[in-house]
Amino acid sequence: MKPADPNLLGLVARDHDHECQGFGAAKVCVRIVAVAQLPTRFGDFQIVAFLNNRDQKDHIAIVHGDVVGHSDVPTRLHSECLTGDVMGSLRCDCRDQLEAALQRIAQEPRGVVLYMRQEGRGIGLANKVRAYALQDAGMDTVEANLALGFRDDERDYAVAAHMIHSLGLQSVQLMTNNPGKVGQLEQHGVKVSARLPHLLPANPHNRFYLETKGKRSGHYIDFSGLPRLQEQSDEVRVEGMPDDG
Amino acid sequence: MHDVIVIGAGVAGLACARGLSEAGRQVLVVERSRGVGGRCATRRVDGQPVDLGPMFLHGDDPAFLAAVDRVPGAMEDWPRLIDGVGAPCQPEALQAHQRRIVFAAGLSAFPKHLAEGLQVQLSTTVAGVDVVDHTLRVRTADGTVLEANDVVVALPVEQSLQLLVDLAETVSGTDGQHDARQVAGACALLRMFGSVPCLTLVAGYDVDGPPLPWDVQYPADSECLQLIAHDSTKRASPAARVLVLQGRPRWSRQRLELPAESWGAELLAEAASRLGPWAASPRFTWPHRWRLARVERGTELRQPLRLTLSGGQRVGVAGEVFAPGGGVQAAWLSGMRLAERLLKEPG
Repeated sequence: MKPADPNLLGLVARDHDHECQGFGAAKVCVRIVAVAQLPTRFGDFQIVAFLNNRDQKDHIAIVHGDVVGHSDVPTRLHSECLTGDVMGSLRCDCRDQLEAALQRIAQEPRGVVLYMRQEGRGIGLANKVRAYALQDAGMDTVEANLALGFRDDERDYAVAAHMIHSLGLQSVQLMTNNPGKVGQLEQHGVKVSARLPHLLPANPHNRFYLETKGKRSGHYIDFSGLPRLQEQSDEVRVEGMPDDG
Repeated sequence: MHDVIVIGAGVAGLACARGLSEAGRQVLVVERSRGVGGRCATRRVDGQPVDLGPMFLHGDDPAFLAAVDRVPGAMEDWPRLIDGVGAPCQPEALQAHQRRIVFAAGLSAFPKHLAEGLQVQLSTTVAGVDVVDHTLRVRTADGTVLEANDVVVALPVEQSLQLLVDLAETVSGTDGQHDARQVAGACALLRMFGSVPCLTLVAGYDVDGPPLPWDVQYPADSECLQLIAHDSTKRASPAARVLVLQGRPRWSRQRLELPAESWGAELLAEAASRLGPWAASPRFTWPHRWRLARVERGTELRQPLRLTLSGGQRVGVAGEVFAPGGGVQAAWLSGMRLAERLLKEPG
């Protein structure tokens, strides 16, 4: 296999001594430490490893095509979800969303998926299992889920903004159904040139989105009877789904 | 009628009360025991202060450390000398990025300082919390009823749960579905936590015993001992050498209902096997049973709970469980953050 894109490899050398004020309330600073090719079942990508100065947790960016110095780069933020992304859990739609994002950027001339390792931080995973246990017991309330706090959006946006900056993206086309995300990133100095709806292709696995019109406090009930959690701060849209505003 | 009643004058409750009080709220703290501080406890044994709960304060949060730095009489960097490769109760306590602090007067200097200027009603046991006519009521064991707009529960997690379970019974009848669901959700959440016990023995010896080249020993290979603290090295001119022996959670659980002489003798025998025969015969001892010493680590919540009932009254829950990291720092942070939420988010 060939070495990765020299422009990306150059960022590793550039970032050896990178240090800045950090982004967001937590003042997180990330630097690019490694880049390699990553062929996947969804297409050929390059993987960029970031380390951060707070907890030594490694975030990654999956890159397709030339992105360094480019504008209007289709970009998707994905928050790590071990149960969904890896185990294929149907309690959330994370895997569907991740696959759709990877397939989409593979088809574009260039694109980026920022994979935010939020569950690797602190106590995220155990508390997520607790949140599921509360759902099982019919006890999931907004307040309990806030206390469990397995999502940390504010911080994710700050880190994502730094990663976009580190990759040298001049502007991004943000793949999201959540207009609020645009403003969050812009607060951290990211130029968002467009918002691309993030539509999942219709398939038997997301049938419930098409069938279930009812939605209660961000949860869908799927056909297996379990409540499904919205974990990507992004309402899921499936191709062919009626737009209910 | 108070703006806020805080139940429990431990570090979490005092931090919350202080945050609210400094913002101009009229706050009453009620506390079951005769002093403030909860498990951040110091007792005079044979005339010398001895820490019975945490052996030192540690942390890395700037706000917490600033609060600790406002307390006079601090001794930085204790324990200086550590022996053994066993784990401290908070695994990060010994990491380089954390500061470690004790007080010559004992660790209770910290909660006592937090309590300064607050209205604290001691020796007051709370029997229950309920809602009557859109008012939160705190009922004490002697039959007094205190009323408040908001109530903060800052007890060990099992005791906080008990109060919420009682509250759940009163709201289900009155304000219907929403309130019942809020409180029941909080109860279900708190049921996921459990505290571990810690049998603790203070042992005093003559000052001129064999040298001890450490401030705390953490044995890795003892079924019985979590740690031995050389408490008297925190004091300016100690009249006695004082060791604090703290038992491991499971070992403590198995002996919790036994007489103190029994488990005390076991702790002393274990200490003597490590330190030498002299340690088996202290001049004085003081046993303390921590039934709810601390929560097992690594499973904390991100933030305190704040329930808003349909009449606008709020019930907050704080404590070491309600902030990452556990221990005194988490207790303080949870209390402060709850105060911030109560001030920022009107009911």
